[in-house]
Amino acid sequence: MNMELSRRQFLGAAGAGVAGTALGAFGFGDIEAAHAEAIRAFKLVNTTETRNTCPYCSVACGVIMYSKGDLKKGEQAEIIHIEGDTDHPTNRGTLCPKGAALLDFVKSETRLKYPMLRKPGSDRFERVGWDEAIGRIARLMKDDRDANFIQTNGDGVTVNRWTTAGFLAASATTNETAWETYKVVRSTGMVAFDNQARV
Amino acid sequence: MSRKTAVAPDPTAIGNVSSPPFVRLPDPASLFSVRSARFRQLAGTGELAPYLNFLAQLNDAQHGILADLPPAEAPDAEALARAHAFEMPPLDRNAIEGDSALEITFDRLFAAADAIDKPRAAAKALARVASADPAQRLAMARTLFTSTLPGDAIAEHIFIWAGLQVHFTGLASALDAAGVKPVADGVCPACGGAPASSMVVGWHGSHGARFCSCSLCGTLWHYVRIKCVLCGSTKGIGYQEIEGHGGFVKAETCDTCHGWSKIFYQDKAPGLDPVADDVASLGLDLLMRDGPYRRGGFAPLLAGF
Ligand code: SF4
Ligand SMILES: [Zn+2]
Ligand SMILES: [Zn+2]
Repeated sequence: MNMELSRRQFLGAAGAGVAGTALGAFGFGDIEAAHAEAIRAFKLVNTTETRNTCPYCSVACGVIMYSKGDLKKGEQAEIIHIEGDTDHPTNRGTLCPKGAALLDFVKSETRLKYPMLRKPGSDRFERVGWDEAIGRIARLMKDDRDANFIQTNGDGVTVNRWTTAGFLAASATTNETAWETYKVVRSTGMVAFDNQARV
Repeated sequence: MSRKTAVAPDPTAIGNVSSPPFVRLPDPASLFSVRSARFRQLAGTGELAPYLNFLAQLNDAQHGILADLPPAEAPDAEALARAHAFEMPPLDRNAIEGDSALEITFDRLFAAADAIDKPRAAAKALARVASADPAQRLAMARTLFTSTLPGDAIAEHIFIWAGLQVHFTGLASALDAAGVKPVADGVCPACGGAPASSMVVGWHGSHGARFCSCSLCGTLWHYVRIKCVLCGSTKGIGYQEIEGHGGFVKAETCDTCHGWSKIFYQDKAPGLDPVADDVASLGLDLLMRDGPYRRGGFAPLLAGF
């Protein structure tokens, strides 16, 4: 049966009038108007919920971050709450004490935002540029490796070990990043490294 | 490091592992009575009280007829196997054709609803569905199954929907929850109905999980958060709430399908009911009406907003 047609037949017989809303149709049109008037004083605000990964350790627990404001709508967004993501298979809504304190981590005044350098003998960190930081790290690593690289062991067997420097990669890396980290770092001879850091 | 910010880490969030079931089937014995109580509670505040009290009584009528209805039967093994094989919901909505139990449900519900204290328009609509023949009722049910409400017969269709709710809640409660599997985004895995709204629950063992609530059979099904209930997109999901209203009801908006649906935070307001609180938060619909998103899902009690 054509439902549109059958409805018309039903209505034709019943002679129902036109009513725009459920409240109006039941005869509550007046309270609808009063409510619409009352709500006019209020306004909507944008909030967001965003999935992310706790950056503290290699367990990589899922989190939901709640913000006031929506970046997608050209607003500032301020994180107001972070909780464990129930839908995430790793942690299923739970967080360890470090993860549970993530909001503190995000808002910390001492949070690291730029490369910082504490020169030998100094008691303070100072901000440096990325180029300077990377150049300096490369220089020091090269010097250290040149000075301390062990090519062969006591029996003359080639071992290619660089034991005087270590490397920590990010905790929440993908398999691919971890694989690449391993290839790059291990190729230099470095043996003390963690490509899924736990801190 | 000194702690001088407004930050207050919450160690209780460490909590227990959450392992939500895929579905929570409705319990007709409590669904309508709990909902009715919630409608009454919500009626205690605000201008909507007459409508909320009316709906409380409609829920009482739905509850009142349950005891004498013939017990619902689960679909037979063959029908279940076929539904499963074709990834269809186990309850077949087309089966209402010629189902005498549904006719009995309609008749008893409309008789019970006669006692409700209601405006004349509601009484007239009730009289029309009470005297409608089975073919007319069936046609209206079919319209409801497409998640539409004709603007010129909203009240009549809501009475039919109330009867369908009783019928399908009974059918869904007879299913085996373990056999209910996901069908598609935005579709009830038990009956194929559209979601009325969704809610993040605080239930022990499922805390923080979001469940969609079926507009027809009342089944609650687990649905990943920050994902459009209507189209399944996870891109461009935003939330809007009425400023200063506590944040336990929000509009979840989707920039993929340009729809929105209502999401409740039952973990923050434990008495929440996905249908009663939907009506009571009409203000959100009124404010969203001016925006670029259209409300999806199916919420007959707020038809027209
Ligand atoms: S630090 Fe804790 S919360 Fe963060 S990823 Fe590791 S175990 Fe999870
Ligand atoms: Zn359903
Ligand atoms: Zn969508």
